[in-house]
Amino acid sequence: MSKSNSLDLKKIRADFPILHRKVHGKPLVYFDNAATTQKPRSVINAISDYYERYNANVHRGIHLLAEEATAAYEGSRGKLAKFIGARNPAEIIFTRGTTEAINLVAYSWGEKFLKEGDTILLTLMEHHSNLVPWQFLAQRKKLNLEFVPVTAAGYLEDPEGAIRRLRPKLVSFVHVSNVLGTVNPVKNLAKVAHEAGATVLVDGAQAVAHLPVDVASLGCDFYAFSSHKMMGPTGTGGLWGRAEILERMPPFLGGGEMIKEVSLRESSFKDAPYKFEAGTPSIAPVIGLGAAVDYLSSVGMENIRHYEEEFLEYAFEKLAAVPGLTIYGPQNSEDRGGVIAFNVAGIHPHDLATVLDQEGVAVRSGNHCAMPLHTHLKINASARASFAFYNTTSEIDVLVEAIGKAKKILKV
Amino acid sequence: MDIYREEILDHARHPRNQGKVASPTFEFHAANPLCGDTLDLQIKMGGKPARVSEVAFQANACTVSVAAASMLTEKIKGMTTEELARVSEKDVISWFGGSLTTSRTECALLPLKALRDALGG
Repeated sequence: MSKSNSLDLKKIRADFPILHRKVHGKPLVYFDNAATTQKPRSVINAISDYYERYNANVHRGIHLLAEEATAAYEGSRGKLAKFIGARNPAEIIFTRGTTEAINLVAYSWGEKFLKEGDTILLTLMEHHSNLVPWQFLAQRKKLNLEFVPVTAAGYLEDPEGAIRRLRPKLVSFVHVSNVLGTVNPVKNLAKVAHEAGATVLVDGAQAVAHLPVDVASLGCDFYAFSSHKMMGPTGTGGLWGRAEILERMPPFLGGGEMIKEVSLRESSFKDAPYKFEAGTPSIAPVIGLGAAVDYLSSVGMENIRHYEEEFLEYAFEKLAAVPGLTIYGPQNSEDRGGVIAFNVAGIHPHDLATVLDQEGVAVRSGNHCAMPLHTHLKINASARASFAFYNTTSEIDVLVEAIGKAKKILKV
Repeated sequence: MDIYREEILDHARHPRNQGKVASPTFEFHAANPLCGDTLDLQIKMGGKPARVSEVAFQANACTVSVAAASMLTEKIKGMTTEELARVSEKDVISWFGGSLTTSRTECALLPLKALRDALGG
């Protein structure tokens, strides 16, 4: 299929130079998008354009290059705010990515607003980036960590009940699971959490390039995301936070850029977002991220979601027909983002990934930074095919054929 | 594919020295953080000078790790601790005929890592 109802796949694929590369002599089938997505030409060009024409530091210079760099950097903030439905660009803080965004909340908000004995409610399907920062904080401040369990079908098990029962101060969970693919009911959970007096953080790393995200209608308080998982460069990403909460939070890292006045013994700080952006930021990546947002917007997030649902249905049908193949997580495309983790009976996922690589198919194997979830599923590891809107259903056929080849080579 | 040639697959599917050693002299548990694979290695030394008299492993791991453990345990039987210390990464990698990528080299070296840790180095 080169064309769906909503997307011009041929044109889209032409926008991504790397998709034309061969791997071990075979056309690349890139199914590792949950690890990082590929970048369109416009993003690559935006980065080189900055370095070739107006490389300068931001928020410091009077000269033209500094003016241009600052305008482009702040332009990206405005684009992102619009893209995820923030009321005000000042609610977008640039970080190194989702991990740093969550750490920022843990160190700044958590240190100030949580006290001994308070509860943080997480879930069993969290990426390590939404577990470890809270473990650190819980150890520092003697907090309780509680976890919403996951059902056999891959959904959160009565998260509303857990919120009402445990009365947490913070509820932090993933929008789309990077293993199960489960799309969690953010809007409903945020409402229940607020009724119980909790603050809500959503890890949107696997959502922003796959679903229309509107933080205003989701109703959460913080939303974290990574640039490189949404067609942008590595090295940046961000945190959206509700303005009234950001205002009351102390700075995260100290240094240049984030201060108003500095004397030898004390300093005063700028307002959000700048008090959270100490030091020279990742200027080129942020500008590249702005171009990625333009690209995603030009394709249209509704169109992308629609295409990926159709694509997932096809992938399910084909993969489910492979003898011995188990798919983890919800078994329908409506409740799922673009991730299918699976195992083939008798084949270790690393061995599977090695054979698939020889066929040009890039998948991830391992525990995908979600060890507790794998422990819960009673497996060491899984193979994961994760998709983007530039993937075609004929690439699924290549994957299925390559799995057959792995079975032959490994004599299963 | 060289990495999955007959001999390797045979070691992976019918591992030699799989199991446990009663009252081992050395033992170690190794884990590969990339995939959560685990391997337990036990060695019993006996005689004068002391040589490996019994060796066994238990693994929950991929073809490459299990085959490497099977081949390693075969090779080290009868070795003194000095000889054990001389088993090199290069030796293990060579069993796979130079077909290992960087990430799969980690899998192949998991048993050797267990051996070195068991020896206390």
